[in-house]
Amino acid sequence: MSIDIRNISKRFGNFVALDNINLDIPTGELVALLGPSGCGKTTLLRIIAGMESADEGQVLFGGAEATHLHARERQVGFVFQHYALFRHMSVFENVAFGLRVKPRKERPSESEIRKRVMELLSLVQLDWLADRYPSQLSGGQRQRIALARALAVEPKVLLLDEPFGALDTKVRKELRRWLRRLHDEMHISSVFVTHDQEEALEVADRVVVMNKGRIEQVGSPDQVYSNPATPFVYQFLGNVNVFHSRLQGNLWAEVARREDGAGGEGGGAGDSLAFVRPHDIDILREPVPDALGAEVRYVHPIGPVVRVELAHQSELVEVELTRERQEELQLAQGQSVWLKPRQVRVFPAGTVAGEALQDFSI
Amino acid sequence: MSRSSSHSVLPGFGLSLGYTLVYLSLLVLIPLAGLLAKSASLTLADIWAIATGPRALASFRVTFGASFIAACLNGFFGLIVAWVLVRYDFWGKRFIDALVDLPFALPTAVAGITLATLYAETGVIGEWFAKAGIKIAYTPLGIVVALTFIGLPFVVRTLQPVLEDIEPEVEEAAATLGASRWQTFRRVLFPAVFPALLTGFTLAFSRAIGEYGSVIFIAGNMPLISEITPLLIISKLEQYDFVGATALASVMLVISFVMLLAINLLQWWASNRHRSVPVKDAAALGGAQ
Repeated sequence: MSIDIRNISKRFGNFVALDNINLDIPTGELVALLGPSGCGKTTLLRIIAGMESADEGQVLFGGAEATHLHARERQVGFVFQHYALFRHMSVFENVAFGLRVKPRKERPSESEIRKRVMELLSLVQLDWLADRYPSQLSGGQRQRIALARALAVEPKVLLLDEPFGALDTKVRKELRRWLRRLHDEMHISSVFVTHDQEEALEVADRVVVMNKGRIEQVGSPDQVYSNPATPFVYQFLGNVNVFHSRLQGNLWAEVARREDGAGGEGGGAGDSLAFVRPHDIDILREPVPDALGAEVRYVHPIGPVVRVELAHQSELVEVELTRERQEELQLAQGQSVWLKPRQVRVFPAGTVAGEALQDFSI
Repeated sequence: MSRSSSHSVLPGFGLSLGYTLVYLSLLVLIPLAGLLAKSASLTLADIWAIATGPRALASFRVTFGASFIAACLNGFFGLIVAWVLVRYDFWGKRFIDALVDLPFALPTAVAGITLATLYAETGVIGEWFAKAGIKIAYTPLGIVVALTFIGLPFVVRTLQPVLEDIEPEVEEAAATLGASRWQTFRRVLFPAVFPALLTGFTLAFSRAIGEYGSVIFIAGNMPLISEITPLLIISKLEQYDFVGATALASVMLVISFVMLLAINLLQWWASNRHRSVPVKDAAALGGAQ
């Protein structure tokens, strides 16, 4: 079922949690709400679920007004970060809960409940745990049970609030691939909240990047990563070097590293900021035109990549090289090298809030 | 995994257990043993005769009956008070929270006299009940009032931390699954607080069985009607009937012990049934972790 969010605003006292949000989620899509903590993503999810009410605006489910429906009437499945399983009920009873509380007329018979619950448990591959209690399960198992419980009522929309946030890295990776497969099998609309950009980029059909109660960009994972609409998106999705520049053409003929923490200050009309991803900078041993001189400070091999910290005048620049490239270059501390960007994205200095830069700069 | 292994991580097991045993012996076991030893001068038939006398039987009925009713009332209203104190923020909450402890601190005689005055037919509260034809003070109903008063903090204080422990998400989860408020309470919240409620009930109940000071002022103390067992024991002592008093005390001790044991077993069952691992699964679980 599609979800339309129209002009939603929400404040908590003086704090603006959501500022006039508009978002359409088409049927069958898996959408990630991505942003730093406090950006309003969880509030938006809770408003969709009916656990929080918006100060202004509308929520439509499948085109029908749902703004004032109670959570229990919305037919949404909700998965919480900390599972929120019923501790005194067995795994089976947890999953059966949604069926048992149905009004008598709609309630399936005991044998149907049994069949449906066991189907769901085998869907999440935990049918052998039916008689256990939540305290006897690992975090990953609990979250899968929570998902089975949410799916038991055949929701039209599945909402997940940082579903893998409390799990360790390996389990998290497994579960998010599994969630992707599950979503494709179930043919429902899913929205999940995360602050982990890797998770959002890997799992979602579409990523909604949020900051300070506003939507910064909506797009496919590839779009938001390789074509960020705003400096915030650039910085939030992956590492980035920011250069305070006076640009000629599109190359940094005369690029000066941003001198102070507060970008956009002291700028003349032509001032702008150049954003370059660490893996979009090439390091050269010989000077070439348009390249920027720098000195190697540290070389860290990290797994498949080699991270190099360089100093350009007094500023640090981060560059990521492949291991092969480092083999060729043989970079060592104290060497003088030249930097050449492969891809630069330029934003006028005025559009960049200094605060945002400081918060999320690398 | 097991805590009873010979090398415990926590040192001082021998010392602290020894201390516990000595302490409990000095305060509980030796006095109780003395009581039983004293009653050993009687044959079982004698004890039976004393304990089944009409006055004794009536006093047992009053004591255990009124205590049970009072503990039930406390269980019900204590749950509401604890719920209000945990769930809602309102002006004067800290004051009400402090008020709950008052029955702990107030001398029971003061409580008894105050309650007797208020609930007497001429008292501020009692006169309203008197108009409806209900006498509270100087009847078994008065005993229930006094026992409810002294038992209240036990239930509230046992429930508060447990209610605070229930995450709001659990209720939200129930709501998104389609449960009504009542279904959420009955199926989710109540089972979660039930073991604690039982503990609070037990504490209030045991406290009420042993209560003396507040009851004698409000009970009227009419033999066969509103006389509690502790009072009957005192009156036997005043007549130098030490053997009769001891016999009654022993019988009360045994009944209390059996009842508390039963409630404790129930409590153990209530709090453990969702933790116990079926034996056949224990090995698999150990392996899975």
